[in-house]
Amino acid sequence: MHDFSLPIGPVNPSIKEPACIQLNLDGNMIKNAKLNLGYAHKGVEHLLEGKKIEQALYIAQRICGICSFCHSNGFNQSIEKILDYDAPKRVKYIRTLVTELERIQSHMLWMGFMFHEFGFETMFQYLLRDREHVLQLFERVTGGRVHHAINKPKTVRYDLKKQDITFILEKMDLLEKQFKKYFGIIKKDGVTKERLVDVGLISKKRAKRFCLVGPTARASGINNDIRDKHPYDAYPYLDFEVIMRKKGDAYTRLIVRLLEVLESIKIIRQLMKGLPEQKIPEAKLIFIEKGMSTSQVEAPRGENFYFTTIKNNKVDRAKIRTPTFAVINILPTLLENRPVGDVPVILHSLDPCFSCMERVIIVKDKKREVIDEHTFLHKYCDHHH
Amino acid sequence: MIKKSPWVSLVNCSGCNGCAISCLPLITPKYDAERFGIKLKPSARHADILLVTGPTNEKTKHALKRIYDQTPKEKKVVAVGNCAISRCVFKNGYNTKQNVDEVVPVDMYIPGCPPITEAILHGIVKLIGDLDKGKKSKA
Repeated sequence: MHDFSLPIGPVNPSIKEPACIQLNLDGNMIKNAKLNLGYAHKGVEHLLEGKKIEQALYIAQRICGICSFCHSNGFNQSIEKILDYDAPKRVKYIRTLVTELERIQSHMLWMGFMFHEFGFETMFQYLLRDREHVLQLFERVTGGRVHHAINKPKTVRYDLKKQDITFILEKMDLLEKQFKKYFGIIKKDGVTKERLVDVGLISKKRAKRFCLVGPTARASGINNDIRDKHPYDAYPYLDFEVIMRKKGDAYTRLIVRLLEVLESIKIIRQLMKGLPEQKIPEAKLIFIEKGMSTSQVEAPRGENFYFTTIKNNKVDRAKIRTPTFAVINILPTLLENRPVGDVPVILHSLDPCFSCMERVIIVKDKKREVIDEHTFLHKYCDHHH
Repeated sequence: MIKKSPWVSLVNCSGCNGCAISCLPLITPKYDAERFGIKLKPSARHADILLVTGPTNEKTKHALKRIYDQTPKEKKVVAVGNCAISRCVFKNGYNTKQNVDEVVPVDMYIPGCPPITEAILHGIVKLIGDLDKGKKSKA
């Protein structure tokens, strides 16, 4: 057998984002894998420093295009915690509505690409076709298809109208009908099972060790749903169940996400039913002398953690821990002793989002290191090829 | 340059994904770019048009240059989104220092954060249309 080193990326057809996976092969089997990251690093945390709160909210939304609202919601929540402000119930309901719509949208995109990875193009087209219904709802409720700039400190920009509610409920009925059909297809289809069952197995012990979050962890039997454990926004008023499975392979992750979409539809129906008649407050400029707080939100991919300190009405430091950062670390170990053909399936079953994930961590033991811009670029950002 | 059925490839240079998922509905039933002969291809080696999204950072600019060199000789580059045009919110970032048109020559700019899918489709169709017109005026 010959030994090969095979780089996948940085621009590759399997993932739509720049990242490089280096595989060491023994024939067709992977001996070990290495992640080469930094291709999507933009230095968002550094950009947030010194910005006013309204400006920072604008940047926070642009950390990721798929879970844009969750980032703005996380940042917003930390600001509201500093102000010790409890938003009106209607505002909370609208925020929860957008969060759940975003979860449906993200899971549908993920599922579509999961099927695309092993060549089930029909399902890919079905799912992306139905995703347009959700995007239509976004355009109606928030005004944007991808970045929904609906959040403001203390309030939201747009109120829901009565005709919007009927429109949302109509679309939810349509989606539920479609998803029940897809669930039937996934349960029966032989190729799907052949490619996904027992691929990328993560046991509960391993999931705990790698600190996995979100649907990936829930497929391995760990409940760490922030909506359930630390309810925020309108979640305390809602009745929903956390989808959990035990096996932890790619197929279970698919099932968990599919059931989560159905659960989100259930949540949205409850939201529309219990939407209180209230006036939403006007957006006003926020002034904070000094403050520090943390916040957690459940993004489509898992827990999104924000740590924010503010000085003189400007962001002093923002530490963001995104769910994909926790999940991607397990990838090299999952790839070991698998054939090359499994790489797209395993990689995609973890739902990677590199634009969320690319953060710089510099750990120094005791000695403090001060780095100027040039050496930082030379050390951590340069292209080494 | 192929004038009737150009193949399109997507290059993401450290964008936020917004423009990439705005480009993706091009191949889905609602927008269906194949009506105009446009096909989204995974490999840049087969592409006639490159859709470039996102600001280039210190690492991706080299990758973008290499991909530009790998595409067949007659090609068009479309900068999709505000980030590709002027880096949008990432303008003052330490790692995002160059616009796409400072790395490779760009033929068309589609503004928006992110641009709607109709706008991207309109841009590509217009690019093909312009190629056709150029051919007629020469003949």
